[in-house]
Parts: sequence; structure tokens; C-alpha cells
Amino acid sequence: MSNATLERTRPRGRGAPPGAETAPRRRRNGWWLLLAPILAFDVVLFLTPLGKLVGASFADNAYQRVLEDPLVVRALVNTLTISLASTIVTVVLGYIIAMVLWRAGTVTRVILFAVVLLPFWTGILVKNFAWAVLLQDNGIVNAFLQGIGLTGAPIPLLHNRFAVIVGMVHCLLPYAVFPIFSSLASIDDRLGLAARSLGAREGSVFRRITLPLSMPGISAAGLLVFIISTGFFITPVVMGGPGDMMIANQIDYYARQLTDFSGAAALAVILTVMVSILVAVYQRVLKAGGQHEDN
Amino acid sequence: MKTTNPQHRLLALLSIPAFLFLVIPTAIVVPVALNDSRYITFPPEGISFAAVAGFFADRAWTSALTASLQSAAIAVVIGVLLGATAAIGLHGRKFPGQPAVVGLILAPMIVPTVVLALAFYQFFISIGMVGSIVPIGLAHAVIATPYVYLTTRASLAGLNPALVRSAQSLGAGPLSVLRHVYLPIILPGLISGALFAFSVSIDETVMSLFMQSPGATTLPVKMFTDIQFNLTPKIAVSSALLVSVATIGLLLQVIFVLKRRSSTRMLPLAVSAQT
Repeated sequence: MSNATLERTRPRGRGAPPGAETAPRRRRNGWWLLLAPILAFDVVLFLTPLGKLVGASFADNAYQRVLEDPLVVRALVNTLTISLASTIVTVVLGYIIAMVLWRAGTVTRVILFAVVLLPFWTGILVKNFAWAVLLQDNGIVNAFLQGIGLTGAPIPLLHNRFAVIVGMVHCLLPYAVFPIFSSLASIDDRLGLAARSLGAREGSVFRRITLPLSMPGISAAGLLVFIISTGFFITPVVMGGPGDMMIANQIDYYARQLTDFSGAAALAVILTVMVSILVAVYQRVLKAGGQHEDN
Repeated sequence: MKTTNPQHRLLALLSIPAFLFLVIPTAIVVPVALNDSRYITFPPEGISFAAVAGFFADRAWTSALTASLQSAAIAVVIGVLLGATAAIGLHGRKFPGQPAVVGLILAPMIVPTVVLALAFYQFFISIGMVGSIVPIGLAHAVIATPYVYLTTRASLAGLNPALVRSAQSLGAGPLSVLRHVYLPIILPGLISGALFAFSVSIDETVMSLFMQSPGATTLPVKMFTDIQFNLTPKIAVSSALLVSVATIGLLLQVIFVLKRRSSTRMLPLAVSAQT
């Protein structure tokens, strides 16, 4: 079964090798050297820059300053509403796609997986550019709407919140499909068979068996998608209007337009703390759903 | 399973718009780049390579392409070396503080890219390392390394640590163990991780934007700057190039999944690459 591909749970070796304690000291220490490069690299190029960032955020009363800025408050509200809307749409579409993948035969499944993965491999600017081409005033979507007589003149589909959400959902879909698919794949097929043999209709099998049992996947997908949404930067600029800027755009504005580093750093810390809390919740949800993360 | 009953047909029907939504934007990119028109339109009015020629005749765009390839090369080399050594070093081992080490290795995936961009921007200015592609490549390496670590770890999952011990007890030195025990097993994971690292770097926009300089403007940064004024044929060509790279990466990955059914396992974890 290819659904094994998506299980992130793998029993983790057999713990410490029984011979490890008796192995010569020199040999054991040799393996520590393998971890030295990545630790050194991450300390110098990851922890140090982040540490300096946190340090900078405490200068000049930065937190109070940014939180009193109405533009920041607006960006925070935008971030929450746009992320929430994108998450809901993404999870619904992701559920439909995951159901199809779950029901498909092996060959169809591989092809459809490739279709889901294609946007994952494509850069965000490429995707946003493509949407801009489709949604522009003389684009194909407007031509279609005019063709079927829904509208006489082109509707502005670009540079507004609708476009931002379309662009974000397109980027986010793969992240919703995988957790939902893996929780669907872990449902025992015999439950559905048993329910049907007792006379349940497809609708009630879905409502009373499939949907409740895939809830862990839905909540994992929802959280993951929301977490990623909160950091979007490119899409609001390319697809949105001036009123659709999110928190990442404010960080950029503070850093590169106002050259107010401490303000930008304070905003960055606020975003990181928000995301970290959500990540902690996400890992809890994964554990509760039985798909723990093996790290 | 066959989709025979009406509910399944309804599901299939519902899913068609969802799949079209996923595919259409990527599918139009190459035709748009080959459009025989001064304007960016879809469907194309005719086939022409004028825009492609224009792209490669424009120094600003070709040097952006070069910068992107350079940063990707740095990210792939560092990512593969660090990610693979870390996965091997942690394989089959338990020690106090191990969760913290793994947490540190994976942490760059979780921090929003814009936060890292700001941190690197300040950091590289403070140490006077600005104006070249190197800091951008290093920044890309930071976010690419966890991917290589994960793909390598996934391919090591089937290796029994006892094999390593028997090789050692038969007199194999550390280098020999690396070459003859680990390398054959991790090779698919390494290749898959290298593809990820390349793709992460070639598409990364935010960090490259913050750290850009006249000599170090990557393809996505050039696209981002131009797209805010107009949709131009050169942006279309650049997009088509990146889509081609993505398609190759995807095909290679599908081949790996079909052969080994391992490498998609970490996808949902990939938090930072996209925003």
C-alpha cells in the first residue's frame, strides 16, 4: 500500500546499540565529530543572528512603539483574518482532494500526488505571476465571466483581498492534503464495510465514520496551514492592494523603508512567538492524533 | 477502489475544480512565455521565442540567473554536507540532549522566512559581509539543511545499527564504514535532499530581497521587483525557467517515490520554504 509513504510515524531504531557502552572510547567520540559541523553552523548562522535580533528588539522601547502604530494593528488584524479565511478554504479543498487520493487506485494516486506536488515545487513568485495573468482585467477568468454573461465589464479580480486568498490557498493546498490524506489512510476500511452491510448509506458513513475519524488530520492540516499563512510576505504585495498588507510586510516596511531596526525586530519577535505557540499546539495535536513526529 | 456509486461520482465531480485550481496556474506559465505578443496574455496568440531571446540578451536578467545558480550551489553543497553528517551522526544513537540537537537542526524550518531575512540582514551588515552572493547562499543553506537531514534520515530508517557495528568489529575504519555501509543506503536520500535544497534556494525570495545588492540580485528578487510595476514577457520567461526546474525536480521525486516510497514523508513539515 502506498499510503505508507505518508506515515510520518516510524518506530525509531532499537534505542542505544547494546554494544555502545563497551565500544572503545575513541570510536564513540569519532561519531560526535559528525554532529560538530551542523551544530557549529547553526550556532553561528542561525542562533547568533536570531539572538542579535531578539537583543535589538529590546532597544528604544520598540514593542510599545510598534504596538501603538495603527498600521501594525491593522496588519495584525489582516494577518489573522486573511490567514483564517485561507485556512478554511484550504482545508475544505484539501479534504476533497485527499478523499479522491484516498479512493483512487495506485496509478491514479501517483499521478494525482504529482499534481498536488507540482505547486509545492514551484516558487511562490511563479505561482503569483500565473494568478496575476489569469485574474487581470483582460485575463481569461474575466473573459469567461463576460462570455457566460455574468458581467458586462471586467471585474477587478486582482489587487484585492480575494486575490491574496486565492494566491495563498494555491500555495497552501499541498500542506493540507498530506495530513488529511494520512489520517484518512489510517481508517480501517472494514468500518465502512460493516456500516454499509448494516444498511448505512454513503452519506451517513461519511458523516458518522470517515469525518470523525479524520478529525486529527483536519486539525493538524488546519494548524499547519494557519502557521504557514501568518508568515506570507510576497503574495500580499503581488496580489493584494494597499489595505491587505500582513505582518511580514510591516516587518519589511519597518526594516527597509523606515530603517527602524528595533521596531522591525520587535515585530519579528512577536510573529515568531505567535508561530512558536502554534507549532507547540500543532505538535500536541499530532501526538494526540497518534501521528507523532519522531524527533 | 472503483468509484461507482453516486456519492463517489459527486466527490469526483467536486474534485475537478480543486484539481484544475492546482494545475492551471502552473500549466499556463510556459505558453505565456512563448506567447507571440507584446502583452502578457493567456491563451497565447501564437508561438514565438522572441521573449526568450530578449531574456537572454538582457544583462540584468542573465546576471540574476547566474546569481540564483550560485546561491543554489552554495546551499546544496553546504546542505548536503551538514544534513548528511548530522543524519548519520544521530542514527541509532540516544544521548541526553538529543531532542535539543534535533530541535536545533529542524528549527530553521519553523521560523518564518521574513524573520530570518531580517535577522540575516542585520547580522551580515554587522559583520561587514554585504554586496556578494555568499551571504545569500549561506542563508539559503541554513533553511535547506533541515530538508537534507530529513531525507537522509528517512533513507537511514531501514539501516540496522548492528550492521555498522559488525563492519567495525570486522576492522572497518570510520571512513570505510561511511563509504561502504552508509553511502549506498543514504544515496537516494542525499539526491532527494539535494533536489530539495536546490529548489528551496532557487525559489527563495524574501531573504534574497533583504540581502540584495547590485551584484547579488537573484531571479525571484528581480521578478518581485519588476512584477510590482508590470507583467512583462521577461518575467514570464523567468517563470517558465523556474517551472521547468520544478517539473524536473518533481519528476525525479515521483521516480523516487515509486521506487522507494520514502521521500514524501517529510513534506508536511516543510514550513518555511514557501512564504
